[in-house]
Amino acid sequence: MDWLLDQLWQTFIEKDRWRYFANGMAATLEITVLALILGTIIGVLVAVVRSAHDSQRGNKKGLGHALLGVLDGLCKLYLTVIRGTPSTVQLLIMWFILFRWADSSSMLWVASLSFGINSGAYVAEIVRSGIMSIDLGQTEAGRSLGLTYGQTMQFIVIPQAVKNILPALVNELITLLKETSVCGFIGLTDLTKGAMIVQSRTYSPFVPYIAIAVLYLIMVLALTSLLGLLERRLRASDRR
Amino acid sequence: MIDVKGLTKSFGDHLVLDHIDEHIHQGEKVAVIGPSGSGKSTFLRCLNLLEEPTSGTITFEGVDITDPQTDINKLRSRMGMVFQQFNLFPHLSVRENICLAPVKLKLMTKDQAEERAQELLKRVGLPDKADAYPKQLSGGQQQRIAIARALAMNPDMMLFDEPTSALDPEMVGEVLEIMKELADDGMTMVVVTHEMGFARSVATRVLFMDKGKIAEQGPPEPFFSAPQHPRLREFLSKVL
Ligand SMILES: Nc1ncnc2c1ncn2[C@@H]1O[C@H](COP(=O)(O)OP(=O)(O)OP(=O)(O)O)[C@@H](O)[C@H]1O
Ligand SMILES: [Mg+2]
Repeated sequence: MDWLLDQLWQTFIEKDRWRYFANGMAATLEITVLALILGTIIGVLVAVVRSAHDSQRGNKKGLGHALLGVLDGLCKLYLTVIRGTPSTVQLLIMWFILFRWADSSSMLWVASLSFGINSGAYVAEIVRSGIMSIDLGQTEAGRSLGLTYGQTMQFIVIPQAVKNILPALVNELITLLKETSVCGFIGLTDLTKGAMIVQSRTYSPFVPYIAIAVLYLIMVLALTSLLGLLERRLRASDRR
Repeated sequence: MIDVKGLTKSFGDHLVLDHIDEHIHQGEKVAVIGPSGSGKSTFLRCLNLLEEPTSGTITFEGVDITDPQTDINKLRSRMGMVFQQFNLFPHLSVRENICLAPVKLKLMTKDQAEERAQELLKRVGLPDKADAYPKQLSGGQQQRIAIARALAMNPDMMLFDEPTSALDPEMVGEVLEIMKELADDGMTMVVVTHEMGFARSVATRVLFMDKGKIAEQGPPEPFFSAPQHPRLREFLSKVL
């Protein structure tokens, strides 16, 4: 018991080491939220391009269709590369190669960018499956009223698809949150890296690592219960 | 009003519409009948380009709509369409279903559209359903809302694809009644239907489709009492 108290003292109180945990957690959350926003934007755009391309039937010609073909090809390339390589490697390439001239104050932004680009690939496939889950009659009804493809997506298909894909999106968010724990590889002090620093000072791993495990778990559980809340809301709105 | 020349449509190597020539004048009410798979829906859906014709031209109000330069969305906003499965937008209230397209396409302000929606709801006999959601309504009510939604665009022409086929028998009458009133008001209508009574009493002209061709056509009187084509005779003997 005395040992544990001593360890807790060393890990959190001595030399204000709790700051490593607090600042690290802030960095982890910041990266996760920024990456989530970026990933959602990329994901929806890619999903719409791919669905628009898929929904083209017949032998359409013209510049617009050629352009869509090119865009679709680029999207496929993006999906293949991003989903085919580890997010850690993407982060290393981003920081040490693409942004090698950037100074360390922009590290958090580069990490967010890297994880956002990574997450976008997974969100895109989630959103695309959501779009495909909506009856084609909805699109036809929208188009028959004179709405454009984009308007039909925006006002009719995507609002309905969101309900279906919410659980998958929250799962992606949870994965994203946990994956940011590799940020230490580029020297960014996130929650995990914070615990590693503390361990290197106190020479005892037990309390710091168990502590961050608990902190990650709390964040994940918070997200899970948020999902439960949202699902109950949506189910309530389904009943009306 | 709408002029169809040499309209051909194939899905792969399956020829569904075989060189159809047809002219529909303003104010005509055309009923399209024929066995399942004869191409009735495909013909109707080609008229507003929900299906892309393989070859042939369609001219609507003097504009060749099969020309890639034509703004298809503008054209569709002048042709209302009513589907067998209603295709109301389940995430929107009845009022929002009706107002969405006129407002988003900037044909009306929100206030104007809502006023028009109320007017149309009265016309289809559902003045107190503006705040309801599609799932709370019976099939017949949903189809009447779908008609109101199409009418909100002030179309010059209405296309109906078996509007009563998905309805319980006791609800068929209420929808046909609305359609009859619409016809009496002078709307140009093309109606794919299995309701021979409706075709007989409301249509000004009946088309019989068989194997991708219009095998016989004429005003309902000689059409039903003295059918010429053997396939039509056989068809009528089954459905009458
Ligand atoms: N998107 C499609 N892809 C492939 N084949 C299709 C497609 N749409 C229709 N067909 C085929 O075209 C033929 C005509 O279909 P269509 O729906 O026009 O018939 P219909 O006369 O409306 O029949 P029903 O009375 O059953 O509605 C059918 O053989 C159908 O299988
Ligand atoms: Mg049909």
